[in-house]
Amino acid sequence: MTALLASGQRPAEASPPGSIAERAPRRIVSPERVAAALTLVALVGMAVVAVAQSGISITGMVESWDNAERFFARVGPITFPEPAELAYLTALTVGLVLCGTLLAAVISVPVAYLSAANTTPGPGWRAFGRFVGVFTRAVPDVVLAMVFVLMFSLGTLPGILAIGIHSIGMISKLFADAIEQIDEGPRLAIRAAGGSRWQEFTSGILPQVLPSWVATVLHRNDINLRGSVVLGYVGVAGLGLEMSFAFKSLNYSLGIGIAIVMFALCVAMEVVSSAVRKAMLTGGRASGGPLRATTPDAALRRPWTASRVRSTAWGWIAAAVVVGSILICDIQWGDLVTVWAKMPAVAVQFWPPSFGNYDAATMFGAMGQTIGIALAATLLALVVSVVVGSLAARNVAPNGTVRTSMRFLLVVIRGVPEVILAIVLIVITGLGAQAGTLALAFGGIGLAGKLIADSFEEVKAGPERALAATGASRTQVYASATLPQGTPALLGHGFYLLDTNVRAATILGIVGGGGIGYYLLNAGQGSNYQAVTAIVLMLLVTVLVVEGVAMWMRRVFR
Amino acid sequence: MSETAVTEGSALIEVDGLTKRFGTTVALRDASLEVARGEIVVLLGLSGSGKSTLLRHLDGLEIPTSGSVRVLGREVPRLSGRRLRALRSRIGFVFQQFELVPSLTVLENVLTGALAELRGPRLGLWSYPRRLKLAALAHLDRVGLLDRAYQRADTLSGGQQQRVAIARALMQDPEILLADEPVASLDPESSEQVMALIREIAMDAGLTVVCSLHQVDLALSWGDRIVGLRHGEVVLDTPASGLAKAEVMEIYGRVATATAELEAIERELADVAAEPEPAR
Repeated sequence: MTALLASGQRPAEASPPGSIAERAPRRIVSPERVAAALTLVALVGMAVVAVAQSGISITGMVESWDNAERFFARVGPITFPEPAELAYLTALTVGLVLCGTLLAAVISVPVAYLSAANTTPGPGWRAFGRFVGVFTRAVPDVVLAMVFVLMFSLGTLPGILAIGIHSIGMISKLFADAIEQIDEGPRLAIRAAGGSRWQEFTSGILPQVLPSWVATVLHRNDINLRGSVVLGYVGVAGLGLEMSFAFKSLNYSLGIGIAIVMFALCVAMEVVSSAVRKAMLTGGRASGGPLRATTPDAALRRPWTASRVRSTAWGWIAAAVVVGSILICDIQWGDLVTVWAKMPAVAVQFWPPSFGNYDAATMFGAMGQTIGIALAATLLALVVSVVVGSLAARNVAPNGTVRTSMRFLLVVIRGVPEVILAIVLIVITGLGAQAGTLALAFGGIGLAGKLIADSFEEVKAGPERALAATGASRTQVYASATLPQGTPALLGHGFYLLDTNVRAATILGIVGGGGIGYYLLNAGQGSNYQAVTAIVLMLLVTVLVVEGVAMWMRRVFR
Repeated sequence: MSETAVTEGSALIEVDGLTKRFGTTVALRDASLEVARGEIVVLLGLSGSGKSTLLRHLDGLEIPTSGSVRVLGREVPRLSGRRLRALRSRIGFVFQQFELVPSLTVLENVLTGALAELRGPRLGLWSYPRRLKLAALAHLDRVGLLDRAYQRADTLSGGQQQRVAIARALMQDPEILLADEPVASLDPESSEQVMALIREIAMDAGLTVVCSLHQVDLALSWGDRIVGLRHGEVVLDTPASGLAKAEVMEIYGRVATATAELEAIERELADVAAEPEPAR
């Protein structure tokens, strides 16, 4: 016993020797885990302070309600553009967004291949792939659009390229995640049979990741459609541009009308893409069945079963939509050639970074406000979406009605473009952080709620069943089996939301939601491009810090 | 009121004429079974013979299409909510895939077995009373895993995880222990350990055990009584000691489908016949 004590074993405090309490091992907590937990607590603390400072108050909102009433009285009857023009604008917006998303998807394939741990040719390539991903994600599409509008001046190319390049970040990251999660077996089998690297990819990896890739692209397409509203503010064609004209010329009835169209469009797109996702996930399995052919020659022709007819038809429809999108965008392909000559002249205007007329304290203060808005919005959104998201999960919801209505609620919330929400809130509460925070928090519920619901549905059902078999109640099963299994995903979603919100908070500043975005728009419109660069660099650093902390947390709380 | 009037007499489990259909397939057909207190019963059958479905009915995890299931004097299909949970808390259930919560510590996994006697949701070790923590540690000691108390459950081997699952069941202080193919996912050495552990614990605590298995030799050497199931019907119910291998073989022979499993059973029987019978 003394030898044990001498060799660093724990002393036998009050417990009698030989008892369970004395023989049980001590819990070992790694210092890194403690540090990560403290960081998390600090972040939550900062978020709480940010919520308190944002001035959100129920009474204030009730008081400003008559503002809203007065505003809507002044708006009068809501008007819409002419039907023909409306149809054209809608098609143009959807087409532009689709082209941009598809451009990003195409570029993301090689980027993801380089950044995935199991396919990358080497660590250097991997770092390059990740850098491309992080960099494209960090530069807001609005900034890209500003730059491209300068270079192309006309047409839809600035919008397509802005969406396309900005989306590479998220799409390539999710693509790479999907590649890293594949079953290595089929790939190994192809290599063992003498297949090339390229064949390994097309026959071993691609079939496994395709459903997840399509889901990713559709998800990003929904995000881009909502984001396209704000692109209108910097001159990208479509419904967003018309809406910004309407609001700038104080034609509120038309502006609100276009906002309503945009909302309907977003909900419709969400419904379509979730239907496609569902069909992709379930349809594939149902097809097939025994072949009736009796000879190999007869079996050469794959029979036209109902499911094959259906999937072929959908394939052609999808192709037609893509071709239609490209046609309606009326892309000036020639610009892609001439633009290179203009590039140096434009690039010079953006360098070196400087705050120009503003002093550094103002800018850092504004950046701080943006971060505060993002933190506060993330906290508010998470608190609500854990509740809503849990109730929307099949294995947590007490019954189907609750689940369906929560899922429906989430779809509706996701349908509202944050910018439109911010514009309406600014009208009600006035310019500033309060409107921005509320708009982001509301939008965040839609995003995080869905992600949380999906992750909770994906946890292993066995432990839940095992706890139910011990006689545990529904809430006990939730707390002891569902929640612990879902926590890493929950943490990941929280940081993803924070990451999204930092950029979204910037964009909301453009429409008057407080923070750095206001200065960004001013600098852009005042041709003060060096200030634009400085602001983008600040944003880049912030996003990279968030990204780094998130990666660390994910590793520690695996 | 007849439910409360029933005294917990000799038969803890009474299944009578139990039929269960899933869509068009019949999982159980007119199955009947009585188990007395302290018995150690093996449900023997190939996969798909209805063993698991029968076990799940005993814990109220399935609702019968027809027939009655009485456990501890309660008509199981009639129970719901609080009363079903109260019954379940008296029955331990060990699963083939262990079904531990992978991200929780071993100790907290064991503690979840006590949830039914606690009120409200619990999150984290600190939320359980010290009395229960000591009990959980004692059960971990009983299954030989005290030193693993603070490891994550998914860092343990399969055999160790199943022993943690047994400790979780012990935490319920159960009267009946149900085990659904508890060693089907384990290597032979761990299997032997786990089966021996279940039997020891059952003997010590006087537990009533119903355990489903598909390995004939294991069933014959381990159980007191063998109940054979085939295509959802009870085709055999006899003490294990008096059972000749040929008899069991005939039961399986009547399945008469040359499946790989059948061949495996034949091989196993040949092995058992070649060796002297293990004394138990």
